[in-house]
Amino acid sequence: MTIRFNNLSVDFDERFQLEQINWQIEPQQHWVITGTNGAGKSALAAVLAGAGDIISGTAEGIPAKVGLVSFEAQAELIAEELKKDDADIMDVIAEGTSVRDIIGQVSDNQPLIDDLITRFKLEYLLERAFRKLSTGESRKVMLIRALASEPDMLVLDEPFDGLDVDTLAMLQDYLSSLIETVPMVMVLNRFDEFPDFITHIAYMDHGRLQLSIDKQDEQAYEELYKLLHLKTTELQVPGADPETAIPALNPEDPLVRLNSINIKYADKAIIEDLSWTINPGQHWQLSGPNGSGKTGLLSLITGDHPQCYVNDIFVFGFQRGSGESIWQIKQYIGYVSTALQWEYRVSISLRNVIISGFYDSIGLYSKYTDRQRDIADQWLAVLGMTDRADQPFNKLSYGDQRLLLIARAMVKHPPLLILDEPCLGLDDMNRQLVLSLIEKICADSETTVLYVNHHPEDRIKGIDQYLALEKTQ
Amino acid sequence: MSNNYFNTLPLREQLAQLAKCRFMHLNEFDDGVNALKGKKIVVIGCGAQGLAQGMNLRDSGCDVSYTLRAAAIEEKRQSWKSATENGFTVGTYEELIPTADVVLNLTPDKQHTPVVEAVMPLMKEGACLSYSHGFNIVEEGMQIRPDLTVIMVAPKCPGSEVRNEYVRGFGVPTLIAVHEDNDPKGEGLALAKAYAVGTGGHKAGVLMSSFVAEVKSDLMGEQTILCGMLQTGSILCFNKMVEKGIDAGYASKLIQYGWETITEALKYGGVTNMLDRLSNPAKIKAFDLSEELKVIMRPLYNKHQDDIMTGAFSSGMMEDWANDDAKLLGWRAETAETAFEKTPAGDVEISEQEFFDNGILMVAMVKAGVELAFETMTAAGIIADSAYYESLHETPLIANTIARKKLYEMNATISDTAEYGCYLYNHACLPLLEDFMKGIDTDVIGKGLDVADNGVDNARLIEVNAALRAHPVEAIGSELRGYMSDMKKIV
Repeated sequence: MTIRFNNLSVDFDERFQLEQINWQIEPQQHWVITGTNGAGKSALAAVLAGAGDIISGTAEGIPAKVGLVSFEAQAELIAEELKKDDADIMDVIAEGTSVRDIIGQVSDNQPLIDDLITRFKLEYLLERAFRKLSTGESRKVMLIRALASEPDMLVLDEPFDGLDVDTLAMLQDYLSSLIETVPMVMVLNRFDEFPDFITHIAYMDHGRLQLSIDKQDEQAYEELYKLLHLKTTELQVPGADPETAIPALNPEDPLVRLNSINIKYADKAIIEDLSWTINPGQHWQLSGPNGSGKTGLLSLITGDHPQCYVNDIFVFGFQRGSGESIWQIKQYIGYVSTALQWEYRVSISLRNVIISGFYDSIGLYSKYTDRQRDIADQWLAVLGMTDRADQPFNKLSYGDQRLLLIARAMVKHPPLLILDEPCLGLDDMNRQLVLSLIEKICADSETTVLYVNHHPEDRIKGIDQYLALEKTQ
Repeated sequence: MSNNYFNTLPLREQLAQLAKCRFMHLNEFDDGVNALKGKKIVVIGCGAQGLAQGMNLRDSGCDVSYTLRAAAIEEKRQSWKSATENGFTVGTYEELIPTADVVLNLTPDKQHTPVVEAVMPLMKEGACLSYSHGFNIVEEGMQIRPDLTVIMVAPKCPGSEVRNEYVRGFGVPTLIAVHEDNDPKGEGLALAKAYAVGTGGHKAGVLMSSFVAEVKSDLMGEQTILCGMLQTGSILCFNKMVEKGIDAGYASKLIQYGWETITEALKYGGVTNMLDRLSNPAKIKAFDLSEELKVIMRPLYNKHQDDIMTGAFSSGMMEDWANDDAKLLGWRAETAETAFEKTPAGDVEISEQEFFDNGILMVAMVKAGVELAFETMTAAGIIADSAYYESLHETPLIANTIARKKLYEMNATISDTAEYGCYLYNHACLPLLEDFMKGIDTDVIGKGLDVADNGVDNARLIEVNAALRAHPVEAIGSELRGYMSDMKKIV
């Protein structure tokens, strides 16, 4: 029978909420739920075992008998055992329930129980009190309980965690032997642990089911791999290159000061009389509908707009039009936009694309240093693209190109990072990837971020200054 | 009235001027734009080249404004719009020229004489007059006031490229020269170098040349291999394919994008690499065809070079100028009517390799044209470096223009001088190749060789490979491309 979650929101003791989950599990499907810590993976799995309070939406077709293995279930069972102990006020040493009885609570299929005990090699602690087992041992007991209960569905939250190699192999084999009869949902963090029989993957983030992927869809599967890599890697955003440090700015000065600026084409004004100051450390979001002049405004800052010479613009210590060159301006800016990606039609390697960020060039025309090369390689590691360092940029997928261009923009740790609609044209998965990278950058560096988006409600964590442009008539 | 400057020089001096060409090293530009700092640059004309150079110079920190004829300002012509919309000060000659330290004459060749005659009396004592093409000085013999410094800075690309490459953080190869008769203060070279830095040219490579070498080699290259050969080849190949029943949309696409694809290989590794992209039998076929083509076309290349050297070409063109461009405009209209021009590229997928495999004749034409132009130029006293730049090096640029806009727009993009020469070549070359084309079938244009296997005779292959690699354009090409990669130009 199909399990169907429709717009399901579930509360877990007000500690955590799942929001608007839409999910469908067909018979014969085996799912992995994945995502980062705190994304809601375990919560989603637990809903299948009846946990949580439904706030809205519906959950249909959940089987009656679900075998659940999770740290929470394990902790709960141990807590129950300890409670029994507390409740025992008589002056005897309470042993608690034995492993044999704990298993017996859920099944009387003795041949199956015996078989499982043999497989897990647990004969030696059958008489031991469950609550006295080590974490690894009690985890095995939990697995046996779930399997011995002959469930309609198995929900296994990180079942392989803490298992020794032999047991791991045994368990995977055993689970494979069940796939025709028992649908399974597993919570797993590591791609290399995904059993072969998995048919679908659910990706959770911020309490929402962000993506459902059919494993047959190789491209989506590969992208998910990258996403998880980026989300879970402990690699830090690589440092700047001390040898090619950008000349220091006066900390008293704003990064950008536009004074009553105008942009006009023929006689049509795109922007009229706008003043705007960006101080160091102030993250801004710039929004406005198409044609409201967002890109024009940005290009006044970057020096790409010819009318920057007829406006009162102070950027990075330079009053525009006072004999400065645009390369003196650009060295302070990291810039990513769809237009840049379109212009970046060069067949240079991924590594060189990142290095080109040190020179603010599209393509690489300068002799780079070994240190710059090292830094580029560190970025590739963060992006999970190390093995493709020498491949040509123009053969990369659209989403990967965007990621790489963000790394290129950040490689020199610019005082100002301008992200002009960084998710434009990206699918959900790549959107997630890009946002994850931006979050990582915001967390790890001192760069001031200017984020441009035409939906003012689409906000990024850490940005608290807003400028909304309107279309001039 | 006009007095061909080149023809006034003694042979010894002609040869010395023609042989001037040196690839400059990046460290010769360490002074940046300093020689132009604090100087007021006024650009005459705001076409594609004028606008691109002015924008680059301004973005490099120079003080740039534009001067236009009073009529262009009053009528708010396109040049006025381009300059003002881009935030430049625009004024009449009378308003701006007297304030200028450096005047950049970026008007079309045919306007040079009236323009220079108009601005020269207005120029400051000791100021600098710069050209992007030496036609006016060399072919028309314009005499410049002796107190003025005369230089040339000629980016070897259309204006759009000059701007785009600068914005990318690079530049386009640029030729600079000082008119030795007009360098009273000896500052010509410093100004020319700073100007090349300001437009980004120093990053892509600068050749130090002479007005004479620039004009004589530039004219030759653009008329023959660059524009003429590609135009003629496009028309012949298209018509042949259609005649042989190949889908017109396919034929149109194969040609429109084919020149660009095959010359991309040329850009990376010369004629050798372009032919190496073919299978062995196809390579031998292309080689044989190109040898045949070279024999047929050599007299035409010689004639073009001779007419350029004697000044016959320029006086012929100047007659047309005097006649309101009657010939040029007529030929331009004809180009718009060619079957290739009128057939849009079909919606078919052609892989990169297929452009080579099915375009053997196109490869042969490029090879023949490049080698002939190079051989003819060097035989006329132009040194190999110049000849390389004006033939092989620039071919991909024109091919790229054809890929984007086909022939009519390609001709509209290049200078009128190049366009005039292109038509001269085309009109002479089409009948010249008539018999040759009768023997051509779809195996070399449209479909590719129909061979059971790719076997070839060892001796013949060795011979062909050796001949390809031994051509002098390959030797100078690998040297010059080597400089470029020394500069870490990673295309």
